[in-house]
Amino acid sequence: MSSQLSFTGFAWKNLRRRRLRTLLTLFGITMGIGAFVALVGFSRSFEHEWLRLYQSSGTDIAVLQSSLFNSSIDESLGAKIKALPQVAAVAPLVFNLIDLTPDVNALVYGWPADSYEMDSLQFTSGTRFRAGQPEVVLGDLLAQNLKKKPGDSITILGETFTITGIFHGGTALETGAVIMPLGQMQNISSRQGKVTAFHVRLRPTPTGESYEHYVKTVQMEIEALDPGIRAEAAAERAGNNQIVDMAHAVAWGTSSIALLIGIVGIANTMAMSVFERTREIGILRALGWKGRHVILLILTEAGCLGFAGGLLGIIVGWGALFILSVMPETASVVSVSVSPVHLVESLLIAVGSGLLAGAYPAWRGARLSPVEALRYE
Amino acid sequence: MSSPILEGRRLVKDYDDGRVAALRGVDLTIEAGEFVTISGPSGSGKSTLLHMLGGLDTPDSGEVLFRGSLLGSAMDLDTYRSQKVGFIFQAFHLLPTLRAVENVQVAMLAVNGRANHRLERAMALLDEMGLKDRVTHFPNELSAGERQRVAIARSLANDPAILLADEPTGNLDSVNAARTMEILRGIREKRGMTLVIVTHENEIAMSAPRHIRIRDGRIENERAGA
Repeated sequence: MSSQLSFTGFAWKNLRRRRLRTLLTLFGITMGIGAFVALVGFSRSFEHEWLRLYQSSGTDIAVLQSSLFNSSIDESLGAKIKALPQVAAVAPLVFNLIDLTPDVNALVYGWPADSYEMDSLQFTSGTRFRAGQPEVVLGDLLAQNLKKKPGDSITILGETFTITGIFHGGTALETGAVIMPLGQMQNISSRQGKVTAFHVRLRPTPTGESYEHYVKTVQMEIEALDPGIRAEAAAERAGNNQIVDMAHAVAWGTSSIALLIGIVGIANTMAMSVFERTREIGILRALGWKGRHVILLILTEAGCLGFAGGLLGIIVGWGALFILSVMPETASVVSVSVSPVHLVESLLIAVGSGLLAGAYPAWRGARLSPVEALRYE
Repeated sequence: MSSPILEGRRLVKDYDDGRVAALRGVDLTIEAGEFVTISGPSGSGKSTLLHMLGGLDTPDSGEVLFRGSLLGSAMDLDTYRSQKVGFIFQAFHLLPTLRAVENVQVAMLAVNGRANHRLERAMALLDEMGLKDRVTHFPNELSAGERQRVAIARSLANDPAILLADEPTGNLDSVNAARTMEILRGIREKRGMTLVIVTHENEIAMSAPRHIRIRDGRIENERAGA
């Protein structure tokens, strides 16, 4: 016999009675959570890619001027950093986000041909570029999007370069990137003698000293070389640069608005539902249901809407992230890696949103006088 | 020797900011196991009195006692309604989305208990009401008489001491009305419950051992019935 009635079963039946309205409400919360999963996932994946970029090349410290966009440091500082006893290698670099075609943009780096960061690139075809030559290497994802192979040419900021190799980078930022000789990048971006940043690889941490303390010490020593620069630990740099900050802010801002719309949708549904069921709530109260039972019923309904919307939202958001990761415009900065923590967070936000939205209707339902509710037409 | 199960003392209730006086100082004592009918013209206050006695509403002044305990202080109204009284309404007041057997169980959700026990009890009560083959029907699939019998089964769900019925035959044809009254009398006799029925039908009013007539918010007279 399957007609055993439970509290949640009762809530479920109430949701099912107005299927279209329930579905539309679900759609609203699904879009809200979907936007949250996709946008916040996007910004976190972006941060994650930065971190991996540093880690894959073995960079411990990034040296910059005031900010990522405006950073311009004298190239000669590199020799002073290299002279510090703890420093194993210094890699100067210039980089910028440049439109390669109207549809495709990419991070374009200028590296010295002998940069230690070159060692982290795995060439799938062709070879490295030569110092001082108008040559570039392409990340495999970008090469695929542009349909380029070694020997082809590519125009960047009006200059033509020969593609010497295709590499498989450790991160989405690299697989969608272009790398050219440092001098060439300085020429096309009119930054002769200047670099955006230095990446510093340290010698092994001395025995008995923590890595964090070691890095901190060297950071201070580098900053002492020039008062106008900042040295940041790579891990901090990944989560603390302006592009990542901006991505986080846009993601949270946009998804908060989407979530708010979802919450208003659930609140509207629950308020309508309580209004329509005034007499039924009166019946329940007449049967001895306490105010808290009514609250629990309505919150269960709202929480279920939130939970189901959350699950669907995760699927939609993950799907959107997947699409972003394969689109040429965004493939260079997005990877489909949604952390379990982010998924749990999304689900909790969804259920929390449902409960928040159901709170007022639930309170209102619980306060109904049984006799007045029974008279309600 | 019977003892008062329900007492109303100087019950006063006004509506519309005092413009309508529904009850004007009603005193009433009902003994355990009694069968009492209350009748009177429309607007006389008979349903209001039943709502006060059943804890559905509270008097503006005066008090209601269940077995000597003051309702609303010594015993909270929700507990009283869920465990001590069962209600039967003229309009049945079944929940349209629930099957007959679920409508009976919904009353038991307010009281702690095992789910399988709730189902067993609901099935037994519907069987007792002659609705064994109607348990999975929704209210709109049942006749008026069947709906009222589901409502009676629901009123018995938590094994109350008192049954309060507000015009229980008001929406029924004569055959179903007679059957409903037969069931209510049978329940009272079998379970020794107290039965209070509000009715405007003279035949029903006079069929109880005790009949109270109410007019303009006051008890007009009281007499033994058939």
